[in-house]
Amino acid sequence: MQFIAASLILAQEEAGGDEGIRILFAPGNELFAGISATVIIFFAIWKWFLPGFIEKLEARQAAVADQLTAAEDAKNDAQQAASEYKAQIAGANEEANEIVEEARKAAESVRADTIARANDESESILTRAREEAATEAQRALDAAKADVANISIDLAEKVVGKSLDRDAQMGLVNAYLADLEKDG
Amino acid sequence: MGDSRIQGYAAAIFEVARAEDKLERVEDEFFRIARTFESSKELRKTLSDPRLPIDRKHAIIDDLLGGRALEATVGFVNFLISTGRISDLPAIADELVAKAAGSRDKVVAEVRSAIALDNATVERLTRALAKRTNKDVEVRVIVDPDVVGGIVARVGDIVIDGTVKTRLTKLREALTG
Repeated sequence: MQFIAASLILAQEEAGGDEGIRILFAPGNELFAGISATVIIFFAIWKWFLPGFIEKLEARQAAVADQLTAAEDAKNDAQQAASEYKAQIAGANEEANEIVEEARKAAESVRADTIARANDESESILTRAREEAATEAQRALDAAKADVANISIDLAEKVVGKSLDRDAQMGLVNAYLADLEKDG
Repeated sequence: MGDSRIQGYAAAIFEVARAEDKLERVEDEFFRIARTFESSKELRKTLSDPRLPIDRKHAIIDDLLGGRALEATVGFVNFLISTGRISDLPAIADELVAKAAGSRDKVVAEVRSAIALDNATVERLTRALAKRTNKDVEVRVIVDPDVVGGIVARVGDIVIDGTVKTRLTKLREALTG
């Protein structure tokens, strides 16, 4: 507005009074023609161009809206997928934890079983070794006793055999006969 | 060798000895020879050796028994050598003695002693064994140093053992567990 006012003032000053102002305004017929042309142009635009434009704009707007909706849907889908993924990850983590826990328990059980079996086996081996040692010791003792007994008896047999003279032999025979006669 | 064959040999020797009226001496000699055969490993091995000629075995018997035993007894032993039955001599002798004792209505009491027994002791032993077994026994004494001391008598299945050897054996078993 300042520019228009400045232009009017400048035109008035240039033309010198009212004449100058009239320079700025078109004649009536021109104005009418201009206005008519403008109206016609506006009408033509409103009638033919604007609907198509609006239609295209609306289509574009709808397309954009659709795209936005699709983007929103995609975003939602992505979020849902992300949530599901997170849930799956969480589930997988939980499952992995369960698997790890089961594996840990199984390993602990196996370890406990192995230790128990090893303990049993070692105890069994120890017991067997102790029994074998005891048996071997007893066998050695029995063998030693048998050897001592055999040597003693062999020696006694020789000593008795040599010490039994005729009288002693007859004494044994008479003792035998006495027992026989007594029992009979 | 089966019992029937041993019995057959014993019966044959019994009949021949009885026919010659030498049964008592033949059975006694047979019994002693059998015990010697049992106790002498060397004699058993020599007389049972199939590689040694029969004539050589006969010569050994003649050397051992000639002049000490009846010709009939020597002949019977040589007969067993010829037939390859000398290893059955102890069994045949036992059967012969039992058969001879049976013919006198007696049973044989085989007595092993470390020393030879005099007649009085044998008589006393005979009476005691007869009383003990309720049988009329005929005692055959075998001098066996292995018994060490004392006597063991066997009448059929009955064994009456009073030897030092058996006592020592029992002591050995008790000590060795």
